[in-house]
Amino acid sequence: MAHSGEVAVAGAKHPASEARLQIERDIIQAMQKPGLLYWGLVGLFATGFGVFLLGAWAMQIYKGIGLGGQLNPVGWGIYIVNFVFWVGIAHSGTLISAVLFLFRSKFRASFNRAAEAMTVIAVMCAGMYPLIHLGRVWYFFWLLPYPNQRMLWTNFKSPLEWDVFAISTYLTISVVFFYVGLIPDFAIVKRYTRGVSRHVYSALSLGWLGTREQWRNYNMLYALLAGFATPLVLSVHSVVSWDFAMGLVPGWHTTIFAPYFVAGAIFSGCAMVLTLCIPMRKIQKLERVMPIEHFEKLAKTMLFTSMIVGYAYIVEFILAYYSGNVYEFGIFRDRALGHYKWQYWGMVFCNVIVPLPLFIKKLRRSLAYLFVTSIFVNIGMWLERFVIIIGSLAHEYTPYAWGNYKPRPVEISITIGTFCFFFMMFLLFAKFMPVVAITEKKEEVH
Amino acid sequence: MVFESEHDFLHKLEELVKNGVKPRDIETRAPHPVHRAEEILGVRPSHVRLFVLIGGLTGATTGYLFTSLTALSWVLPVGNKPIVGIPPFTVIAFELTVLFGGLSAFLGFLVTSRMPAVRTIISNDEFKDSFEIRVKKG
Repeated sequence: MAHSGEVAVAGAKHPASEARLQIERDIIQAMQKPGLLYWGLVGLFATGFGVFLLGAWAMQIYKGIGLGGQLNPVGWGIYIVNFVFWVGIAHSGTLISAVLFLFRSKFRASFNRAAEAMTVIAVMCAGMYPLIHLGRVWYFFWLLPYPNQRMLWTNFKSPLEWDVFAISTYLTISVVFFYVGLIPDFAIVKRYTRGVSRHVYSALSLGWLGTREQWRNYNMLYALLAGFATPLVLSVHSVVSWDFAMGLVPGWHTTIFAPYFVAGAIFSGCAMVLTLCIPMRKIQKLERVMPIEHFEKLAKTMLFTSMIVGYAYIVEFILAYYSGNVYEFGIFRDRALGHYKWQYWGMVFCNVIVPLPLFIKKLRRSLAYLFVTSIFVNIGMWLERFVIIIGSLAHEYTPYAWGNYKPRPVEISITIGTFCFFFMMFLLFAKFMPVVAITEKKEEVH
Repeated sequence: MVFESEHDFLHKLEELVKNGVKPRDIETRAPHPVHRAEEILGVRPSHVRLFVLIGGLTGATTGYLFTSLTALSWVLPVGNKPIVGIPPFTVIAFELTVLFGGLSAFLGFLVTSRMPAVRTIISNDEFKDSFEIRVKKG
């Protein structure tokens, strides 16, 4: 280390240096030992995860998949609704970290870490559902292409097989992206910790020192990962939408599905980022590093995607009418007026009407209002998937084969269990990792 | 030499380069990426991108070959659709391009930056909040 005379006089810090250190302290103080209430919440969610998800799933494995409500004609119940919902939630994490990085948006720095963590956890939640939905989960490896005894391979023309590849790639790349962003921050945390944790954070930082070589390679790595993640995020939800759109089911078999699903995913993801970050900002005292202006920008993104989703709802009807296909139009008439009309109008209310007041600047800047709106949007987007999946399957071609579906207790229990898992993981993340990207915040200081 | 502000750090770097110190003899450390410093020192793009190119191409090739060869190993005609269908296999090839490309980017980063640096991990050397310049004695 060089120790020549250029060091500033001790005690008199340069204002930029002081600002950078302030950012560091503000973010690291959020990682201090949590109180009893915090641990209580973690314990509560952990219990919920154990009882509602693991317990109910164990019972379903023991008794058989018939414990759930899926029966002909509705073979895909709320397990698949949850799968699509959680994949959608994951998407805005990648949007905020990768797409906004490529667009050089400043407001991403407040949210990208939390959003990336949310992505990783939400993909874990989503990944559970295809397994939960399997009748005999111990045969899940049949989904993977492996050289078996009879050399039979999976059907790569099936959208369900594309999903296996899309979701596992998405999980892997999200984890890598999340970890890469954390490397310099772990090195900063090392400076603030003692004892065993210091060694752990030191090992996690891989020996990061911020040398020229390291930054040069790091910047290239980050830009390339962002470049990969951007088309990936579009492809993953498109593939999820093709699970439906490739099927000859009225209400599903449309080309609008991929863009419609991607917009919906970003919409619900922005809402979930708000749901998580607004309480986190308060509890962790992050007011200085997460300014209101950035929340306002996120609210604008949410409003914009809300309008895309609203447009898609209208266009779907017009396309169905214009197609002249009685089955296609029948299913849409049934959506608005049929057995699931409450779900449908609930979805329209939550996703199209509730976000509209965000055109008023004052409301966009009110965190309490944003929080309430985000909860409505989360519910609305869950209902959207319910309407699409169950509404279409319940009323296919032959009226003789129509039938309605109602989720059974085991399905509801598992759904609650995933929410518990999600919040438990997020609370743990918020205490063991820096929740805002420190080096990126520092870059803004001049 | 240790600096607290980016401005002083960049100023000193410019001065050093102007005085004829070779950029490769200058080692720097910074609390955040400084793109101006790279311009001053005339740094070439990182080799990480080479890893990504190889990884991505390997992924695309694997995706197309794996799907096509397994489809041909047990021919199963359905609804007069082609046995080797390019559009559906493109989805798999795309996902594998991203997967292999992303993982090799990370691998490339570790190799080019010589990480994990075990000696630094166990030492007391820290990632500080200051800009540093060290000139190697040539």
